Amino acid sequence: MKGWIGRILVIDLTHSTITTEPLDPGMAQQFIGGRGLGARLLWDLVGPEVDPLSPQNVLIIATGPMTATGFQTSNRFSVSTKSPLSGTVLDANSGGYWGMRFKRAGYDALIIKGRAPKPVYIEITEAGVSLHDATHLWGKRVEETSQALGQDKNKRNVLCIGPAGENLVRFAAIMNDATRAAARGGPGAVMGSKNLKAIVVEGDLRVEMEDKERFRFVQYEATKMLKANPVTSQAFPEFGTAVVMNIINAIGALPAYNFQQTHFDQADAISGEAITETILVKNAACWACPIACTRISKTDMGESEGPEYETAWAFGASCGVDDLVAITNANFLCNDLGMDTISAGSTIACAMELTERGLLTSDLRFGRADLFAQTLEDIALRRGLGDELAEGSYRLAEKHGAPELSMTVKKLEMPAYDPRGMQGQGLLYATSNRGGCHMRGNMLGLEVLGLPKLIDRLQVQGKASFVTLHQNTAAILDSLVACKFVNIAVAEEYLARALTSLTGVSYPTGELIRAGERIWNLERLYNLREGFSRADDTLPPRLLNEPATGASAGWVSHLEPMLAEYYRGRGWDENGVPRPAKLEELTLAELAVEVLHG
Amino acid sequence: MVDERVYEMFRDIGRDMYVHNLVSSHGGNISVRFGDRIIIKRRGAMLGRLKPHDLIETGLEKNDSGVALASTELIVHRAIYKATPALAVVHAHPRVAIALSLSRDEIVPIDNEGSYLLKKVPVVSVEFASGTKQMAETLADALKSYKIVFLRGHGSFATGQTLDEAFQWTDALEEAAEIILHAKHLNEEMIEYRRMSDSYKSW
Repeated sequence: MKGWIGRILVIDLTHSTITTEPLDPGMAQQFIGGRGLGARLLWDLVGPEVDPLSPQNVLIIATGPMTATGFQTSNRFSVSTKSPLSGTVLDANSGGYWGMRFKRAGYDALIIKGRAPKPVYIEITEAGVSLHDATHLWGKRVEETSQALGQDKNKRNVLCIGPAGENLVRFAAIMNDATRAAARGGPGAVMGSKNLKAIVVEGDLRVEMEDKERFRFVQYEATKMLKANPVTSQAFPEFGTAVVMNIINAIGALPAYNFQQTHFDQADAISGEAITETILVKNAACWACPIACTRISKTDMGESEGPEYETAWAFGASCGVDDLVAITNANFLCNDLGMDTISAGSTIACAMELTERGLLTSDLRFGRADLFAQTLEDIALRRGLGDELAEGSYRLAEKHGAPELSMTVKKLEMPAYDPRGMQGQGLLYATSNRGGCHMRGNMLGLEVLGLPKLIDRLQVQGKASFVTLHQNTAAILDSLVACKFVNIAVAEEYLARALTSLTGVSYPTGELIRAGERIWNLERLYNLREGFSRADDTLPPRLLNEPATGASAGWVSHLEPMLAEYYRGRGWDENGVPRPAKLEELTLAELAVEVLHG
Repeated sequence: MVDERVYEMFRDIGRDMYVHNLVSSHGGNISVRFGDRIIIKRRGAMLGRLKPHDLIETGLEKNDSGVALASTELIVHRAIYKATPALAVVHAHPRVAIALSLSRDEIVPIDNEGSYLLKKVPVVSVEFASGTKQMAETLADALKSYKIVFLRGHGSFATGQTLDEAFQWTDALEEAAEIILHAKHLNEEMIEYRRMSDSYKSW
């Protein structure tokens, strides 16, 4: 079986043991790799009794069969764990170079268990694996840590946490290659709870392919698609992901002032066009990526990576800020402290609304960009009010008597698309198994960009089927592991053929998407086992009751009819529990016994 | 009750299929999947002149009164939805492609657009080529790997996320078929312009 390396590295930090286990071929074929493999391993290793920040939680870092093959965007890896923010199953993934290098060191995945008695870092090379004292690195920021450990993108790649992870900020990121982040849901806090500061990898092993000639042909055809698609060949390289800022604002789906409005009058000032015109130094790319959406920007703080659309929104429209430099500096700081920019910005926006409503005593008010730097440092170091903000917006708002002002699903902050102006997006958030997330399926493509075809963004009937299909597809992309952006231009049939020629295992397109459905259902079972239910598949009341503004004026999210259609279409009962026939079809029945029958 | 926006989509695609000569007056059918429900053209309705009452809703798996009104090919549409991730199916009778299907096991476009979009369209055969279980299973199986498949002597079955998308594959196939026919009539040696063009046959 080619494509996969066939080995999983297991490190128990409590006992300082390092072992290698074979990758179960059946498990690999069914769950592919990355997020799917991570969810399957997590199912066995972390039950409902485990606190996410206890030594019993595990951190699984997994590549997929496509990783390091040279296929477009085959640079990514996935981190799976139980989320300290949402309490759900979690996967977060990241690009750059580290994932490629880890696989080339000779492993498909790494499972980290236990808690080291004092700070350590792990070094993984083709020659061996070792644990090192990291006491001297504890407290250091991401850039400094990466440099101290010899970050060299073409040879030696560093993954680490910053102070936020060390201090168990619930939305702390795991950073790699200094500026790339696996951030959503707080995997950095889990890494910090294990006293693990960093993982350094070196390696140059080549991935074996079953039919290299056919693989390269599929890759060649995919290149044509990427070159021909204006989003991947022009818009993203020139303006970055923030190219959608003005587009989303124009349709009245840009949340502003903590979702009190769905348009932002100053959107143009924080758009992709503005970034390119004012602060952009150059664009850059992850390994094997022809899209190159990364922004390298320069401000008074220096030159670094960012901002992406979500970050420009989180510290911009969401906080009522139109100062692009302040937003970019907040981005730089989040990267260096090791924090998720979406949750950080959104939690500050929540604090601003709490303050303006007299529910919180603070200086944070909409528009106060001057407080970003101090607030972010306070969060990362858990100082003063920062200690409350470090818990995320839900726990913050709940503490101050207004949980409804937290713009979260399952305690994870939603990103920059308002469900009132994109009905399918609302269902996507509500049913997302890691909480409020836009990367569980590409409704932006369908409802706004017309990829592959435009559907009516305000239509309710039939939306559930699109959400389901795109959730299943996203699960596959996260498991291969490939960037979501490659799928803007390159359809699933290309990925299926690439995987088949790579591994020698037959994956008709339909079967590959079925594997995505299997992964989605396993994650659903995990959350059900944790005690989540239909009641958690919802949106903040604001989105269900308070009408949108701008071009979507008057609309609220019509979640209920979509949710009912979604459950039926997924083969789940009215409580959102997969029916036995569906579990049989997906070969999950055996695993599900404990969930369905206690 | 079918949303007006859904009806408009059926009406426009149906009309375009007729205008493009992809079906005769009463031929072909189209459907979409909404969760565990299917909306499909009424049996005998003219694709080029669909009215709201020509859209029939029925179950993906479960029968109800809708099956008495639905297209003859409902069994095929259901099988395709159960076997593949398709959310829309377009069945047409493109004439040149039908002619080509009588003498070949696959239609491999030679024009740039056809190669780019379709790569290769397999041709499958069944004994009873209208509304049978054998036909449904054969097509559904082939559509797991291909977005458009041809039933020899009968017509195309295309899948997509939307009717728009499935229609695109159908129309692109007929265009590619016409170009193959024209090239054959010219009977001149072809100058290959595509790198790795032999690989399309193995798509």
